[in-house]
Amino acid sequence: MTVSAPASVAELQALVRDSERIHAIGNGSKTALHSGLNGATHADLTKLSGIIEYQPAEYTVTVRAGTPVRELSAALREQGQYLPCDPLLPESATIGGTVAGNLSGSRRYRYGGVRDFILGAAVVDGLGRAFRVGGKVVKNSAGFDLSKFLVGSLGAYAIMTELTFKVFPDVPRFRSLAFDYERLEDALAAIYFINQNIFELDALDLKPLENSWQLLTRLAGFDETLPQRLERFSAAVMSHTSLLKIAELDDSVTLWDPLADLRGAHLVKVALSPKQVPDFDRRITAAQRRYGVGGNVAWVATENLSQVDDALQACSLTGLCLRGAVESAVIGAPVENVLASRVKQVLDPHGKLV
Amino acid sequence: MNRAFIAALESIYPADRLLTREVELLPYESDALTAFSAVPGAVVLPVNEAEIIDTVRLCHEQAVPFVARGSGTSLSGGSLPIPDGLTIGLNRLNRIKKLDPEQRIAVVEPGVINLAITEAAQPYGLYYAPDPSSQSICTIGGNIAFNSGGAHCLKYGMTSNHVLGMKVVLADGALTQFGGESIEGVGIGPDLIGLFVGSEGLFGIALEITVRLMPQPELYRTVLAAYDDLGRAGDAVSMVVASGLLPGAMEIMDRLAIKAAEASVQAGYPDAEALLIVELEGEAPQVEAEFDQLRGIIDESGAFEVRVANDEEERTRIWKGRKGAFSAVGRLSPDYIVQDGVVPRSRLGEALVEISALKEKYQLEVANVFHAGDGNLHPLILYDGREDGALEKAEALAGEILALCIRLGGSITGEHGIGMEKRDYLPAMFSEEEIDIMQALRLAIDPKEIANRGKMFPGGEAPALAQHGMHPLERAGVISRE
Repeated sequence: MTVSAPASVAELQALVRDSERIHAIGNGSKTALHSGLNGATHADLTKLSGIIEYQPAEYTVTVRAGTPVRELSAALREQGQYLPCDPLLPESATIGGTVAGNLSGSRRYRYGGVRDFILGAAVVDGLGRAFRVGGKVVKNSAGFDLSKFLVGSLGAYAIMTELTFKVFPDVPRFRSLAFDYERLEDALAAIYFINQNIFELDALDLKPLENSWQLLTRLAGFDETLPQRLERFSAAVMSHTSLLKIAELDDSVTLWDPLADLRGAHLVKVALSPKQVPDFDRRITAAQRRYGVGGNVAWVATENLSQVDDALQACSLTGLCLRGAVESAVIGAPVENVLASRVKQVLDPHGKLV
Repeated sequence: MNRAFIAALESIYPADRLLTREVELLPYESDALTAFSAVPGAVVLPVNEAEIIDTVRLCHEQAVPFVARGSGTSLSGGSLPIPDGLTIGLNRLNRIKKLDPEQRIAVVEPGVINLAITEAAQPYGLYYAPDPSSQSICTIGGNIAFNSGGAHCLKYGMTSNHVLGMKVVLADGALTQFGGESIEGVGIGPDLIGLFVGSEGLFGIALEITVRLMPQPELYRTVLAAYDDLGRAGDAVSMVVASGLLPGAMEIMDRLAIKAAEASVQAGYPDAEALLIVELEGEAPQVEAEFDQLRGIIDESGAFEVRVANDEEERTRIWKGRKGAFSAVGRLSPDYIVQDGVVPRSRLGEALVEISALKEKYQLEVANVFHAGDGNLHPLILYDGREDGALEKAEALAGEILALCIRLGGSITGEHGIGMEKRDYLPAMFSEEEIDIMQALRLAIDPKEIANRGKMFPGGEAPALAQHGMHPLERAGVISRE
């Protein structure tokens, strides 16, 4: 395997033109995405790093794709802002990898995911052409929005070199409550209750404990309003759902890292709806799992990837394997799509980008 | 229109849903960009998915251009008919097929009216967030095509951010679907929803759309602040942003727009050079605390009068003037052009000064209404179409405003799209290579260029500019422009 680390867009263009098959990689934090490539040249993007333009007053930031999420988050934090899509691997991922994999953490619940905060990008496509898509202002509807298309594209259509995001002011304080339920159905009923109510949670995750299910909830806001909001919220959930117990937990980074407790050779992300959770879950009880974003994303850690693959197939769901060596990172129901293949035909007609 | 093609349409549609006589076609000759008109060769009114698919396949086979149309409220001429082409009217596909309040989603047909989703969701304490000013009449299909926005986009985004799944027929007749009921949308694989939404009808027709619903905020706090200087209102916006508050909406109107709104809906606005509306929304305790902070900022911003909506009725009154401002301008001038451009928020002041200078240069009145929170300007250029060359002069001024938006680092459209109106400005924003790539993409999906031919891309045959004044529905006060 050849690895090349272009230091400029021009070098990346040349590398794409000169390679037969090429695979973009940032910090390599999602190992499964970089396995099974049969000797494709690796374009290491970590030299294309750094913040290009950050204007807190505009709520926008433009960074090079190889910039570590950690670095971007620190710069935003200094100005009291954050990226509300909450990149999944805040300590190890690059921002380009976060977009390519469409990987958000639990706080994505409040305002939206990667697709909701990307505004534009600069890319190099499979023909080595460098061009821009989208825009640099928070609102723009000119031309086809290829920047959103890049979200989840796994580098197979164009390699990102620069990304522009919308950012928001962050809130000063958090409080976290855990509600325990005997059965998964009870916990899901609590989610449905919360969904139809006025409470604006910062995050809402669900995880199995030994003999119960725990609903993790987080409120964010001003110090002086949190006690009252917490009180109202917990009272409402207690009176409308059949829970076992309630506890306030120490709000910490670990508590809200959906992957923190998940051990296993493979880690899989699944996008699903809350109502698909029970059927999927009963097929993977041997795996460690957590359901994030109000039951809209499953994180599954397993030693037995084929069991998860089978479960996905049975439920007509697709998964993205992030950890471990695999032949194909995309498992479960196939995602081939005629619209996506038309885009591929235009941006990478020779099938160079893998 | 070719006789064989009409005959083929006759095999799909009964006579009352296939319009070919001139008197039947005339109502479709324009959309809300009334400066353009073109008579379609025929209009069909499908009532189900299968008819749409058959129609698109027939058009592809016979290379007949088509435009899909909802209520025809496009301000960029996006649903303007193609001369002698086919117009596919989608209003009859207006069923809400599924409403699942537990998962906060709705599955709708393309002809469903934007506001109808909110009305259906209301009993469950939910609503559909994107709120273009034409929301009482515009359809979701059109919102999808143009990625419609509204006054409340700052926090929760535009149409694209609220679509979770779609079933579409591409321009060459291929059927596909992507996304689903998960809030992650497509989730795994490229975000095809993001690509399709805003493609201005050039990729095909959305047959079924899954949208996300949001919980209705417990409390709104709406403030109206009056300033004796437009720049000061703009500065107030910057102060709000710098404070770390995230309002649901921030809107500015200038003197002429205020005057128009007053004349039209008697909103009871103060006599001012500029009005700023800021709206906070969310959980009551948090909003009350944010509101205290906001009051402090507004008080320091040099407003000479501040009004707070104390109930829903007062809130509605504040918004009524703003939402009706565009059509209200029609009372001041026989004709006007609604422009839609974006500048970085911090350069709003600069943009307004330059627009003012352009007013002088062209000797035309310009009313300014804008979504200040996201730098989205909507200058309204007033002119009298009965005067020789007046429209051309107004168009030239509009063009200079767009050039200004690009120079300041913004965009030529925030939410109305390119359509017919701005296709010649696309090259000002994208390089030749970028436009070539977009064109190649279009050809890969629609090799015969039949879907909404003549829109978005520069050049091509254009119908002559005509003079029409307000949209008839607008004149009747049914719709308004954003």
